[in-house]
Amino acid sequence: MWPPVSRAACFSGRLFLGPPVSRAACYSWRRILWRTMDLTETPDEVAFRAEARAWLKAHVPSDPLPSFDTEEGFELHRQWERTLFEGRWSAVSWPEEYGGRGADYVKWLIFEEEYWRSGAPGRVSQNGIFLLAPTIMEVGTPAQKARFLPAMAASEEIWAQAWSEPDAGSDMASIRSKATLSADGSEWIVNGQKIWASRAVWADWCFGIFRTDPESARHKGLTFILIPLDKPGITVRPIAQLDGDTGFAEIFFDEVRVPVENTLGAVGQGWSVAMATAGFERGVSLRSPARFNVAVERLVELWREIGDPADDTMRDAVTDLWIQAEGYRLHTYMTVTKLLEGGHIGSESSLNKIFWSEMDVRTHELAMQLLGTAGERMDGPFERWVDGFLFSLSGPLYAGTNEIQRNIIADRVLNLPRS
Amino acid sequence: MQFSFTPDQHEFANGLREMLTSEFSPAALRTVWDLGAGIDHVLWSRLADMGVLSMMIPLGSGGLGGNFVDTVLLLEELGRAAVPGPIVETITVGALALGETSWAAGIVDGSAGVSAALMGEPYVPHATLAAAILVPGSPAGSVRVLDAASIAIMPANGIDGGRLLGAITTMDAGAPVSLSLAAAVNAGALGTAAYLLGLSSRMLDIAGDYARDRRQFGQPIGAFQAVKHLMADALLKVEFARPAVYRAAWSISVGSPTVDRDVSMAKALASEAAQKATRSALQVHGAIGYTWECDLQLFMKKAWALMPAWGSSQFHRRRVADAVLGAR
Repeated sequence: MWPPVSRAACFSGRLFLGPPVSRAACYSWRRILWRTMDLTETPDEVAFRAEARAWLKAHVPSDPLPSFDTEEGFELHRQWERTLFEGRWSAVSWPEEYGGRGADYVKWLIFEEEYWRSGAPGRVSQNGIFLLAPTIMEVGTPAQKARFLPAMAASEEIWAQAWSEPDAGSDMASIRSKATLSADGSEWIVNGQKIWASRAVWADWCFGIFRTDPESARHKGLTFILIPLDKPGITVRPIAQLDGDTGFAEIFFDEVRVPVENTLGAVGQGWSVAMATAGFERGVSLRSPARFNVAVERLVELWREIGDPADDTMRDAVTDLWIQAEGYRLHTYMTVTKLLEGGHIGSESSLNKIFWSEMDVRTHELAMQLLGTAGERMDGPFERWVDGFLFSLSGPLYAGTNEIQRNIIADRVLNLPRS
Repeated sequence: MQFSFTPDQHEFANGLREMLTSEFSPAALRTVWDLGAGIDHVLWSRLADMGVLSMMIPLGSGGLGGNFVDTVLLLEELGRAAVPGPIVETITVGALALGETSWAAGIVDGSAGVSAALMGEPYVPHATLAAAILVPGSPAGSVRVLDAASIAIMPANGIDGGRLLGAITTMDAGAPVSLSLAAAVNAGALGTAAYLLGLSSRMLDIAGDYARDRRQFGQPIGAFQAVKHLMADALLKVEFARPAVYRAAWSISVGSPTVDRDVSMAKALASEAAQKATRSALQVHGAIGYTWECDLQLFMKKAWALMPAWGSSQFHRRRVADAVLGAR
């Protein structure tokens, strides 16, 4: 039964200003026209989930791989990335021409849920596929896309970040590593030092920003450059991190010559190009909700195994983590729907970064509390919790400390005055 | 999977915000307090005219025939303005319980407000203003409606001047309604959660205005990191409560099997966000925030009244725990 007013009349003015009688009719007219909120999966999404689940079940290694912050583990993770690529699962959200499936954000989240639930290895390719690639797709030339993306999807080339410097941490705009054009203008000559470059000891390429205008200060005069780590003049020195593995590294550049074709985005625009990458990292791409949902499911299992059921405090604390992980999942689905409908995420992505990193620390702190003295042993049955605890503590530090994120939220979301 | 609202749902909410911004300032709210009225009858008629009161009343009863997803953004806007009177109860649990009864016409035209006391509260909010009051029925798990004209109510002073309290001293049998007690509690709890979201956002806006305006040590206090981080942490709580509230609205609308869990998660998060927003906003204001003349108090006191209403954060967390970890 069609409502007793014309469709045109219902769209001629703002609904709430209309006469009360036609408003009800208009409202039902318009309810027919627009798809309203629906949190169930479409048949297409259900099929995609089933396909991902079946493939992962058949291919995920039965024994966990050694940490990708070790030499052996890094190579085994690279092999796993090859397997993922061959199944066309290494970069599901990318266009098919670069090795992806052209999956939308919802499907990407579905894949991530299946991925982490299957117990698959961590993504050693994450810096390239999740952080650099979106920037290449946004500002890269066609030649750069063709050159870098397929090799990245296949993990023939694994990327390290080269952002921080010894004197440019939270204050990243004080970068001093510089790149100067060669006399014929065909090459950058790079000098300086980068630090906290995860897995740079084994990675093939690095990306970062360098000062290309020696007269410039702060955010100006910086350029985003892609650099192969096997170039003469590069020295990579491993740094043992809190867990003892040498996932960290510092990179020294001494007269390193890089073709100018490796400039990403415009010369002098490195800061805004880098901020685009950092936005993706803080936003949905680096830490999809699924890994936290899975960590909390493991926490619930641990609580069932060794928790005292009469201890209400612990029961409430476990529930709180479940609520947080579920809240992050819902928040992410709302964000990706906004993106799919043509919206953008800006500085509010800093909220995500604070939320997941603090949730992850709390999850692991609670696990350690449940384990008590058993959690002191590094190589025992609870090794994964102890490793996870140490790793979780890096979350509030990397990708911009949570204090920097709070400043960003205050300045750009709450519009408070700059310090 | 589509976790968003239609252009219509946004438009209605934006229109409501415009109307409330221009026609119901904090000064108007303060007048309601000063008069001890507990409600603004002109505003109430305006809400009736706009269709806000009838959103969840069925089309056959003269309403808009909407569901909770259609209503949740409106509740947020009502909270932003701290609209006084039994607004949450009337448009959520009232509409769902009484939409197909003779009370429906009064809800639609604004002549009959509805209140409820379904969780053993010692005082009924808006008791002296509501035409109908929902209370637990017999057998257990059911709801009945009392006609306020046929019961006796003793007024009591509450903390929120937009929420007059009363104790029912003489009760009659009332009339049974078809909505179950569980569904009624979910509707009231989620309506309150959505209202608290709007209220929390408003308190952060008020605090932000003050932090930009107030100068100490030669600069606006909002430039100090201690103030920035206080407010960022409150915003974090509000923004992560919001999707949980919207999801619970959907769960109620479609009759999801996880509706109890979803509503409880939403109410727990919204109550905690309101608590954080209240504390942060007061702290940002300093001593002026502790005065009767500062408008912030009108919003804080509403938050303090609604945080425990329809089940505290702890009550709802335990319901989530029972759903996720199994009942004790």
